[in-house]
Amino acid sequence: MIGFLIRRILQAAVVVLIVTVIVFILLRAIPGNIAVAILGPAAYRNPAALAAFNAQYGFDKPWYSQYLLWLGHLLQGNLGFSFTLDQSVSSLLGQRLPKTIILVGISTIVALIIAVPVGLLQAVRRNKPVDYTFTGLSFLFYAAPTFFVGTVLILVFSVKLGWFGPEAPQGGIVNDFTDWRDLTLPVVTLALVTIALFSRYMRSSVLDNISEDYVRTARAKGASRQRVLWRHVMRNSLIPIATLLGLSIPGIFAGALITESVFNYPGMGYLFFQSAQKQDYPVLLGFIVVVAIATVVGSLLADVAYAVLDPRVRYA
Amino acid sequence: MGAFPSTRRRRTRGLLAVTCGVAAIAITAAACGSSGSSSPTAAATGGTPVAGGTATYALPPSTVPNYIFPFDSSTYFSVVNAEDFQYLLYRPLYWFGNGASPTLNPKLSAADAPVYNGNNVTITMKGWKWSNGTPVSAQNVVFWIHMMQAVASTDWGAFVPGGFPTNVSNVKATSATTLTMTMNKAYNQTWFTSNELSQITPMPEAWDRTASGPSHCTTTVSDCAAVYSYLDSQSKQLSSWAGSPIWSIVDGPWQLKSFNSDGNSTFVPNKAYSGPVKAKLAEFQEVPFTTETAEYNVLQAGSHGGNQIDVGYLPTTDAPPTKAPNIIGTNPVSGYTLSPLFSWSINYFPLNYQSTTGNGPIIKQLYFRQALQYLMNQAAVISGPLKGYGYPTVGPVGSFPATPYLSPTGKQGDPWPYNPTKAKDLLSSNGWKVVPGGTTTCTDPAKCGAGIKQGQALSFTLPYATGTNWIAQEMTQLQSNAAGAGIKLSLAPKPFNQVTALAAGNCVVAHISCNWDMGNWGGGWTFVPDYYPSGETLFLSGSGANSGGYTNAKNDSLINQTLTNNSTGPLFSWQDYLAQQLPVVWQPNGVYQLTEIVNKLGGVIPQSTTLNINPEEWFFTKS
Repeated sequence: MIGFLIRRILQAAVVVLIVTVIVFILLRAIPGNIAVAILGPAAYRNPAALAAFNAQYGFDKPWYSQYLLWLGHLLQGNLGFSFTLDQSVSSLLGQRLPKTIILVGISTIVALIIAVPVGLLQAVRRNKPVDYTFTGLSFLFYAAPTFFVGTVLILVFSVKLGWFGPEAPQGGIVNDFTDWRDLTLPVVTLALVTIALFSRYMRSSVLDNISEDYVRTARAKGASRQRVLWRHVMRNSLIPIATLLGLSIPGIFAGALITESVFNYPGMGYLFFQSAQKQDYPVLLGFIVVVAIATVVGSLLADVAYAVLDPRVRYA
Repeated sequence: MGAFPSTRRRRTRGLLAVTCGVAAIAITAAACGSSGSSSPTAAATGGTPVAGGTATYALPPSTVPNYIFPFDSSTYFSVVNAEDFQYLLYRPLYWFGNGASPTLNPKLSAADAPVYNGNNVTITMKGWKWSNGTPVSAQNVVFWIHMMQAVASTDWGAFVPGGFPTNVSNVKATSATTLTMTMNKAYNQTWFTSNELSQITPMPEAWDRTASGPSHCTTTVSDCAAVYSYLDSQSKQLSSWAGSPIWSIVDGPWQLKSFNSDGNSTFVPNKAYSGPVKAKLAEFQEVPFTTETAEYNVLQAGSHGGNQIDVGYLPTTDAPPTKAPNIIGTNPVSGYTLSPLFSWSINYFPLNYQSTTGNGPIIKQLYFRQALQYLMNQAAVISGPLKGYGYPTVGPVGSFPATPYLSPTGKQGDPWPYNPTKAKDLLSSNGWKVVPGGTTTCTDPAKCGAGIKQGQALSFTLPYATGTNWIAQEMTQLQSNAAGAGIKLSLAPKPFNQVTALAAGNCVVAHISCNWDMGNWGGGWTFVPDYYPSGETLFLSGSGANSGGYTNAKNDSLINQTLTNNSTGPLFSWQDYLAQQLPVVWQPNGVYQLTEIVNKLGGVIPQSTTLNINPEEWFFTKS
């Protein structure tokens, strides 16, 4: 297992490096002029300012020189400086990442807590009214655009009823925990979609397992239905959920652009959107590095979770 | 000095002339719709004014202040940094904005109106004080000018080669209150005050320092680069702004109490403010928003939400239709007053006379430009996509608000009302075979014009900036109108930055690709902080912001007259001439912001077309 982990970590480093090269090339291929994007069209009036900017940030060099320069800084822990937000990229990620992890992380946990028993219940009550009801709701929330769900929730629970705030908690991350009324709607918005997804997987997985021989054997040995469900079926059915969770980790780091936008919550997703619009390359690259690392780590964690959940899986 | 094209968040000119961008996210609040009605005059005028209270102001979407030093390089030259933030703390020497009029406001200026004598100008300070008790002196103005002389070419966002301060010499403070300078020639006094002196913001002596201690930029220009570098670095430490020994010395009506890099700011009154209008509020807060939809959600929630907005904005898509910009329909937000804010600007999109696509010779033909302008239906765009919140652009001078700068001819309205018949006639009579719905081609090159080939088609690519609904609708409408005359416009929606990178600079001057015919970034030009609408930056031959490379000797001569002649006659002559010459395609000037003001707050209206905010004039009322 340790050998496997070491190999995977080394592979991950190579993957992240390749991702940065590809992204760097793609970013440089975006039409437009970086200096004009940053300085504004007014800079056209002043070619000296454009030239000074390009020289200062190395945009007058070939792309590979720029990449090596960026990589050198990265290896020293320097992710660069945002031209448009006037802060270091590390500082920006330091502000936005915790907020995103809190929002998306809590919604994922909430979704998991609800989706697992719902999926189990649907499988056990297959083709019964309760199954149809949850299936219908799952399809509804999975198909509904996030901005629509969020807006409707705001209109009903904030504008009309006044139960919750119309925007996510503002200020530092401490407020995320103290202003629970403001955090509720964005968490619910994200969780509804995730519950729909997770519960479908869970239902399907339970249905697959419930007809397996080991279930019949356990029942034949006298194990109660509840015991078989919770001790045997549940554990095996969680394997695809572990995969989903592993794949969700990049999302937890990358943020939820639409939800962040609707609820005025400046997290990672919104940071990426803003930076892409303004061609703020250092931020985009910093973001990509974080998400790429999260992706390979998520994949690794999913593999480890397999081994924990399924004793038959052993990594050499 | 001139103005540049920009989105709402950009400070100078050419705002997208629409409310709140970020529509690219395509978030709509279609389902929203509580109702209420009010009129502008109802805003907090019915109650008794009370001192104190905290007013909350919604910043434009996706914009937050990120620079406090009021010497903005191009990177930081934005409305949110200057008008929404720095001007509350540090006042420009001359304040422009008389109610809605974009003219000099002597009362709010820190100096008396400049006195001109031939090539010389004298500025006399009023003796206002900084918050640390020292006077706002002539030396503080010299400090600014010296810094411009040292670093403006690369670090001052409004710098124009050949413009201020390179067109002055012998700048000296003859006393603590008097400053004189010599211009390189006798300029039009209104132009020099409105476009050159308007850039100055006095800086306190305490800022004349570097990390190692006091410096001497006020007296020695060569010291200024180091001082600039130090102040620039201090300004980039966002978390240290509030309470900073540097930035806490203010001469504006407000002091910064707190700030975080998310964009949340709290201001308290500067008790030492010397100006005539003292703050009545106890606090003024600015809050950031990711999108206009997010802001609208909070606005609608009103007191249900923890963070009520006192001054916010309505997304254009939710605006009640109106028959005239100053008549407002039913406000969809109850408890608020809706007041449209228009900026002092013109709107247009450039044609590239230097195009290398093969269409350059066509664009150079006046009859073609006239035909294209006849196909731009400004009235329909205003009444349709803009829902009535817009004014036609009638030439190079804004038609709103009323100013002494618009000629009598300009006041008569759109000189090129929609007329497809005339458009087709112009093409037919100049050697083109017009094929409505098809492709019009040149059949008589001798009549079509120099450089135009037999069989050449009227086919152009027109990239336009996404993110503004009404611009997209306007472009589709123009495409349809043009097709009726056999002109093929291939629309190409692109991000704002890509359109401006392509079409906002003179491609020959800026050494960028000339491989484009037309480009519409959605805005035109806002006359801030160069409030006199002369055309030296936009339309003078060879100017960096003359996007399409328009060149016309008579136009150049008329512009030069506007810069040196004190009367408005040359300005009228020039604008009337250029309105007919159509160097660009004039398009409607849409509303900048549909401001929503909570009914218990007064003093917000009239809003400033120069985009300044004046919360020191705001007050709460009790009924």
